[in-house]
Amino acid sequence: MSDFSKAISISAAGMKAQAKRLTHVSENIANADTPGYRRKTVPFRLENGPMNQPGLVTVGRVQLDRTPLEQVYDPTHPLADDSGHYEASNVDLMIEIADAREAQRSYEANLKMFDQVRQMSSGLMDLLRN
Amino acid sequence: MEIRSLSAIQSYGSARPATMPAPNDAGLGTQGNDVFRNFVDTVQNGENTAINAMTGSADPHALVQALAQTELAVETAVVVRNKVVEAYQEILRMPV
Repeated sequence: MSDFSKAISISAAGMKAQAKRLTHVSENIANADTPGYRRKTVPFRLENGPMNQPGLVTVGRVQLDRTPLEQVYDPTHPLADDSGHYEASNVDLMIEIADAREAQRSYEANLKMFDQVRQMSSGLMDLLRN
Repeated sequence: MEIRSLSAIQSYGSARPATMPAPNDAGLGTQGNDVFRNFVDTVQNGENTAINAMTGSADPHALVQALAQTELAVETAVVVRNKVVEAYQEILRMPV
């Protein structure tokens, strides 16, 4: 496995991880109005392969945000308690948008590295051509 | 026979062992086998990933990664083959 292949697989793993993160961000945004929904986050961690293997980034287990759910006053709601409040989700759209934008930037960075490696390898092979 | 040609024959004889292959030199043959096997593995992996991606069981990242690696491998193989053919033709053109 050449260095170029390693770099390509590292970049692909980074893109895969960011895509995974983006799916959870979109899930959070889609469920922003679901009562009792807790926002999900995915931790990134380094996957240590065997000897001489590159360190790929992978996503760990999905974690639920432990911040308290928002209390919404609506006595007509079926889930309302005695005081007329019910528990909405703890999704903050501002945080989700910022998270999505961060995932996009990171994805683009990985994509650029992917393209860079490809250009470098094809430039190297161009040397052997006449 | 002239003394000069005699000494030339002697020097050829003494130079011959230097060009003999080493007795247990596995070198180029097995190395070449490994390289070709690696190449075939890469191309097969690319094809399998492409099929899986078309049938929906592999994600596009894996497809792009496998195809980029296949492209790299095929490009390398083509360039090396062109060089080998070029060298062979160079030998054929050599005046005997």
